[in-house]
Amino acid sequence: MNRVNRAMAALLRRSMQVMPAERREWAEAVWSEAAEVPSGWRQLRWLAGGLRMTVREAALARRLRYPLAFAAVAAGTVWSAWSGPPGNAAAAINRVEVTAMVVILATLPWIVGRTRGAVSGSWLARLVRTGGYAAIFALVLVRTAVRRVADAPPNNLGGATSAWIGEVAYLAVMAGYVALILAVTARRSPADRGTVATGVAAGTALGVMAYALGPLGFPLRFAGAGPAGLYDAAMVLGFYLAVSAPLAAGLAAARRDSRSEPAGSGVRSGLTAGLIIGATAALVVAVLSTATIALLPYDAWLRQWASSHIGHWTPAAGQWGPVLGPGTRQGYVAGNSAFAAGYLIVLLLAPLLGCALGAWGSRSWRLLTR
Amino acid sequence: MRRRSGFSPQTLAVLAVLCEQPSEWRHGYELAKRTGLKSGTLYPILMRLADRGLMEARWQSEQPAGRPRRHLYRLTPDGLACASAAVTAAASVAKPAGRAPGRAQPHPRRLPAQA
Repeated sequence: MNRVNRAMAALLRRSMQVMPAERREWAEAVWSEAAEVPSGWRQLRWLAGGLRMTVREAALARRLRYPLAFAAVAAGTVWSAWSGPPGNAAAAINRVEVTAMVVILATLPWIVGRTRGAVSGSWLARLVRTGGYAAIFALVLVRTAVRRVADAPPNNLGGATSAWIGEVAYLAVMAGYVALILAVTARRSPADRGTVATGVAAGTALGVMAYALGPLGFPLRFAGAGPAGLYDAAMVLGFYLAVSAPLAAGLAAARRDSRSEPAGSGVRSGLTAGLIIGATAALVVAVLSTATIALLPYDAWLRQWASSHIGHWTPAAGQWGPVLGPGTRQGYVAGNSAFAAGYLIVLLLAPLLGCALGAWGSRSWRLLTR
Repeated sequence: MRRRSGFSPQTLAVLAVLCEQPSEWRHGYELAKRTGLKSGTLYPILMRLADRGLMEARWQSEQPAGRPRRHLYRLTPDGLACASAAVTAAASVAKPAGRAPGRAQPHPRRLPAQA
C-alpha cells in the first residue's frame, strides 16, 4: 500500500467511530477487504468508497446530524454578525464575540464530556441542549445587531476600554451558561430528569413574564389609575413568582431526595434546581429583550410605543444613522449601554439568586421534616 | 413466502452473483468485480440485504498471514428464494448493472470454497 492509500485507510479506520455501533462492522469489512484490492488507484477508490459509506451512514444516524446543524447555524451566525460599515468600531467587538462564542460552544462539550459524559439519550436532554444552544446563538445575533447601530459613529463606544472589559465578562458568563446546559443534559447530570424539566419550564415561564413586564428592561408607564394599578399588581405578583419558583423547586428536590438519598444531597439538589430556573429565566429575558431593542431602529410603531410607555426613556438629540433618519435619537445609545450592562448583570445574578433560593427551599424542607 | 419486489438493478446484480453458488461464502471484492459496483455502492447493498435477513455475513475464521480477516457473505434460505424469484423476473429485461450498455457480463469463474 502506498503512502496515500495508507493515509486513506487510516482515515477510514478513524471514521468508523462516527458510525452507529451496529454499522461499524461493515466499515471494517471495507477496510479489511482493501488488502485484496490491487494497490494504486483501484485500492484508493475502494477505500474512498468505504469512507463515503461511513459518512453517509453517520449522517443518517444522529451522530453527525447535530454537529452538521451546529456547523450550519454557526456559519450563519458568523456571517450575520461579521458585517459592519466602514469605521464602525463595534464590528471588532462583534467579530470577537461571535468567534469566541462559536469556539466556546464547539469545545466545551469535549471538556464537560470528560466528567459528565456525552449527552443523555432522552429526548428532554436533547431538547434542552438544542434549545439552550439556539438561545445562545440568538443572543449573539441580537447583541451584535444592537451594537452595530448603537455603537456606530460618532459614539464609537466599541473602542472604549470599558466595552472590551464588558465583553470579556460577558464571554466568561456565557461560558458558564454553556457549561451548565451541557452538564445538566449529560449522562451523568447533577440533576434528575424531573428537576431539569420543571426547572427549564419554570425558568422559561419566568423569563417570558419578566419580558412582558418590562420588554426593554425598564418598568412600563401607564396613563390612568386602572391600568397603572393593574400593572403594579402584576409587578408584585411577578416578584413573588420569581422568588417562589426556585424556593418551591428546592423544596420539591429535597422531598424527592429524602426518599432515597443521603441527607446532605437534598441541599445540592435544591441548589441545582434553583440554578436551572434562574439561568433559564435570565437567558430567556435577555434574548427577548435584546431582540426587542434590536428591532427599535426598524419599527416606528415600537419606537412610539416605547416613548409613551417606558418610564425612564430619555430622548436625546443628534444624528441617528441611516436606519432612522437624521435628527432623532431616542435614548438608544445611552439605553443600549445600560441594557447591555443590565442584561449582563441579569445573566450573572439570576442564576446565583436561583441557587440561593433553591438551597434555602431544600434546607427548609430538611428542617421541617426533622 | 412474502414476495420482495422493488430491488434496484444494482441489488439484483449482487443477488444474481450470490445466487450462482448459494452455499459458497463470497468476499466483497469478488462481488465488486463480478457486478462492477464500487465499494461505496456495494457495501450499503450488502448491509441492507443483511438487515432484511436475506443475507448472512461472518468474518473469516482464520486470519491469513499478514492480512486482516475478510468479511464473507451468502444468501439465507429466505434470501435465496426471494433472490431467485427477483432475478428470474428481471432477467428478461435487466441490463447488466454498473456496466456500459452493450458490454457483456464476464464469464463467471468457479471459485474455491471458502473455509
